[in-house]
Amino acid sequence: MSFKKQLKDGLLTNNPVLSQLLGMCSTMAITTTLFNGIGMGLSVMVILICSNVVISLLRKVIPDKIRIAAYIVVIAGFVTMVDLLLKAYVPALSESLGVFIPLIVVNCIILGRAEAFASKHGVLASAADGLTQGIGYTAALVVMCIIREFLGSGTFGKGVFGAGSFGATDGIRILPEQYPALLVILPVGGFLTLGCLIAFTQWLNRRIAQKEAQKEAVE
Amino acid sequence: MSTFITLFTISLNAILAENFILVKFLGICPFMGVSKKTDTALGMGVAVIFVMALASAATWAVNEFLLIRLGLEYMQTVVFILVIAALVQFVEMFLQKALPALYQALGIYLPLITTNCAVLGVALLNIQNGYTFIESVVYGVTGGIGFTLAIVLFSSVRERLEDCDCPKAFRGFPLALIAAGLLALSFMGFSGFKVF
Amino acid sequence: MKNGKYILRLTVTLLLITAVVAGLLGFVNYLTEDKIAAGQREKAKNAMQEVLPAENYEPLEVSAEGINAAYRADDLGYVVDVTVNGFGGAINMMVGIDADGRVAGVSIVSHSETASLGANCTREDFRTQFSGAEGTLAVVKDGGTIEALTGATVTSRAVTSGVNLALEFVKGVQ
Repeated sequence: MSFKKQLKDGLLTNNPVLSQLLGMCSTMAITTTLFNGIGMGLSVMVILICSNVVISLLRKVIPDKIRIAAYIVVIAGFVTMVDLLLKAYVPALSESLGVFIPLIVVNCIILGRAEAFASKHGVLASAADGLTQGIGYTAALVVMCIIREFLGSGTFGKGVFGAGSFGATDGIRILPEQYPALLVILPVGGFLTLGCLIAFTQWLNRRIAQKEAQKEAVE
Repeated sequence: MSTFITLFTISLNAILAENFILVKFLGICPFMGVSKKTDTALGMGVAVIFVMALASAATWAVNEFLLIRLGLEYMQTVVFILVIAALVQFVEMFLQKALPALYQALGIYLPLITTNCAVLGVALLNIQNGYTFIESVVYGVTGGIGFTLAIVLFSSVRERLEDCDCPKAFRGFPLALIAAGLLALSFMGFSGFKVF
Repeated sequence: MKNGKYILRLTVTLLLITAVVAGLLGFVNYLTEDKIAAGQREKAKNAMQEVLPAENYEPLEVSAEGINAAYRADDLGYVVDVTVNGFGGAINMMVGIDADGRVAGVSIVSHSETASLGANCTREDFRTQFSGAEGTLAVVKDGGTIEALTGATVTSRAVTSGVNLALEFVKGVQ
């Protein structure tokens, strides 16, 4: 499998959030500012690459019966490490994501990739899978954040751009303060935005599949 | 008396104002996965209440008597997930031997619960909120009840969504998410709702 | 016998993995522990400097519920470290109170309020409302003078009650 194909898979046709429908808890809960989205996406990507590599290395050593338990321990280990490192070096991020950092342990994307990919493939391919799926996850989060932040707060890049201390900046204001629909930032908005985004992905994927089928028919 | 009031407030919050699924976004995977039929949703809900209560009790005790004593609080996530996984396995074996009828009904949901973030979530939130043992167990049970309430309500909505006429791209999952959003909207009415 | 061996293998493998993970975590914890503690101390100190700048902060004895710590800030007044329950969980804040018993400043140290709603309680235009106030405060909805944050009455009430706690505590000390 080529890296390019894996990347396309991760971003679109087999995107962990938008096509495989995994890891939705964090996707909806934390995507209220761009800062949260990027931070969460990168944390998950790092953990995903590490756990994929380790599980791929251990895939011949771990007996089948206890594989899930073993995977969970490995994943929980990496999650705690990232949690501690964030607390020490990026406290702003660790505060704004709160309990959702330790909850990465039960994010189905990581266990899902371990079971579906890393336990059957070599180290390099597994690392590439972790990277591309992580990119796909981050991309989905960032798109959600941009939409929700724009509609809900009327800003772009809260926590990343604009004035204020790192992680708590005001962002770049696009809509005047009285117009945005607060609802989009609230839980309701999470469900609605993700629903529309998945519908859009389904439509896009169907278009791509149709085009490919047409191409084949012509040839 | 004041303990009773605290417990009552915790319960009410866990079921309505801070519903695990619709407000806190914990346990979305089973919420979307097992909500196609009302009776399976109910089965899952009961299993979750059971495991959340046990998990709250067990993780609270492990944290208080083991982790804090040994100064190993940073191992919380790893230890909790192991405790939960072991607990679920144990409950499964126990039910299979002792109450085969109940096992028949709940058995298939149990393995799924290990990776339900509501369970790990409740264990972590108990510690974060500084709850006592009783408060933790009550939070676990009522959080589970809130989960069940949401999933059962949603499953009856979803049964009707199956054969409704909507744009092709929205069919199935996206439409379910939008319906869940409307359900979350109605639960927002409870937010900031304080009795005492 | 083969069965026993298999079970032994399962146990040993799982045990080994857990031991390695635990060891690694211990190491990472050892590396980060001081840094995390230092970060928290720094944050608390910055917050104290912000609400009532002073050279020395002398800790006082506290026993009131909701108050974590209190300090006498030279002759300028007091700084009180308060925790109240907001909408999404605990809100930890520093309240500075000057020698006349008026609020000198309020700083939110940590919170878990909803982003863009309750989280706005860290904004300056909300916090400065408290400066100079005395007595018992309340939000406009409850007949007071504090303008609540849009869509976050619960958070605003919580912060206000925290300031009240601090005011009351200082009254008891003076």
